[in-house]
Amino acid sequence: MTETENVKDTKTIPFYPDHLNTEIRVAWILIGLALIVGILASFFPIGLEDPADPMVTPPHTKPEWYFLFLYEILKINSVFGVTILPPVWVSIIMVGLVLFILVPFLSKKTDSKKGMIVRASGSALFLIFVVYFTLKGWFS
Amino acid sequence: MDQTFSKFIKIMLAMVIVVGFGITISSNVHGKQMAAAGYNRPSEEATVDWQLTEAAIIRDEKSKLPPIPEQDECLHCHIGGSVENLWVPLTRWVTFGAVGIVFAFGLTRSAWVWKNRKPWEPLSTRVGNWIDERYHHKEALEKALNKPVPDWATRWWYCLGGITAFLFILQAVTGIMLAFYYQPTPEAAYTSIQYIENEVFFGASIRAIHHWSANGMIVVCVAHMLRVFIMGAFKPPRELNWVSGMILLITTLAFGFTGYLLPWDQRAYWASTVGTSIAGAIPDIGELILIFLRVGWDITGATLSRFYALHVIVLPILLLGVMGMHFIMIRRQGLKEPL
Repeated sequence: MTETENVKDTKTIPFYPDHLNTEIRVAWILIGLALIVGILASFFPIGLEDPADPMVTPPHTKPEWYFLFLYEILKINSVFGVTILPPVWVSIIMVGLVLFILVPFLSKKTDSKKGMIVRASGSALFLIFVVYFTLKGWFS
Repeated sequence: MDQTFSKFIKIMLAMVIVVGFGITISSNVHGKQMAAAGYNRPSEEATVDWQLTEAAIIRDEKSKLPPIPEQDECLHCHIGGSVENLWVPLTRWVTFGAVGIVFAFGLTRSAWVWKNRKPWEPLSTRVGNWIDERYHHKEALEKALNKPVPDWATRWWYCLGGITAFLFILQAVTGIMLAFYYQPTPEAAYTSIQYIENEVFFGASIRAIHHWSANGMIVVCVAHMLRVFIMGAFKPPRELNWVSGMILLITTLAFGFTGYLLPWDQRAYWASTVGTSIAGAIPDIGELILIFLRVGWDITGATLSRFYALHVIVLPILLLGVMGMHFIMIRRQGLKEPL
């Protein structure tokens, strides 16, 4: 079977109890964090703003923080003098997302150390890009 | 093997005792505070006058109904005594019930050993054997539990996927708790959240845990994706695992998006307005998506109902199904060995 093919020649530990124990320990840490959040919430609750009112638009309307970078990108009117409208940005993002989903089908090459470095630096650049636009949106 | 298990059981028991003790203490304190603040059980404030009620009901017809017996109108007051708190009788039931069960178990066990003249088998072994006789689960379970794990798989970055799954369970539990009190209508949504924050016991804590672990889930999910991407774990033969993982990430984002509207305050309303208008900017099909999401051109009560249905019914089912596939596939193929 392919199940154990790639682990035969390395050192292994049993799933039960060793590995499961590690996982349970991680779960305990997370439960502890959740309890801390719960206790802190008694003093600093999430709270609510004013009730929703379609007639009153607040001065700074923002989406959730994880969509903030998309929103900031849509606000960019031109790149190097070329006018780009929001539908074009959305199209670029959608195509990029579909390509990213289909990334394992794009290359048949076996993985290499070089490819890993390229992907790591690409991800880092993308993360910096996203963090920049998120912060820009957050403090605007 | 068994030692770890019994250790685990012992930790669980200790936790149950500590938490039970905490609940008992805090419920007593809560009850006293409530009583001091003037929240009394209705039975003391306004006792139902059964004679008057009866008279009001059968005022006209001189009915031959038998007289209403002398009954206790307040069962839990009767069980709980004078302390004005619902939790006290419950904790009493649980405590004394548990003592009774332990006592009955000890009696049965002694009788069994005395009658059969052989050592007692633990209940877990008996239940396991009973099920195994019928469903033969032990072989499969052994195989799953004894699967060797490569020792590099204990590095912390292999934990991220598991943490996401755990946070989803946490979200499900706290979400169900919130859904007990939440009312998805524009008139009642805001006040029901206020009620959860101010009146429900531990309501603010549960809401905060739901809120922060939702944000944490997105962070950990993206971190897991980046880990898989950088280490090349998406490469053949694990293509479908990558695709299902991306579906899970998009579903998680959709969870966040639909859940954000539910408090129905200004921030939620306008964030959803902006978010749906981003979706509306997609060429050609954007307006269709916008109308589907908003149920019309504006965000109204219908939008709230739709987001609520998506948030608590559609997305959880989708997520659970894809999650099952994701796990089975990684289990079949094993983790990718790092370069």
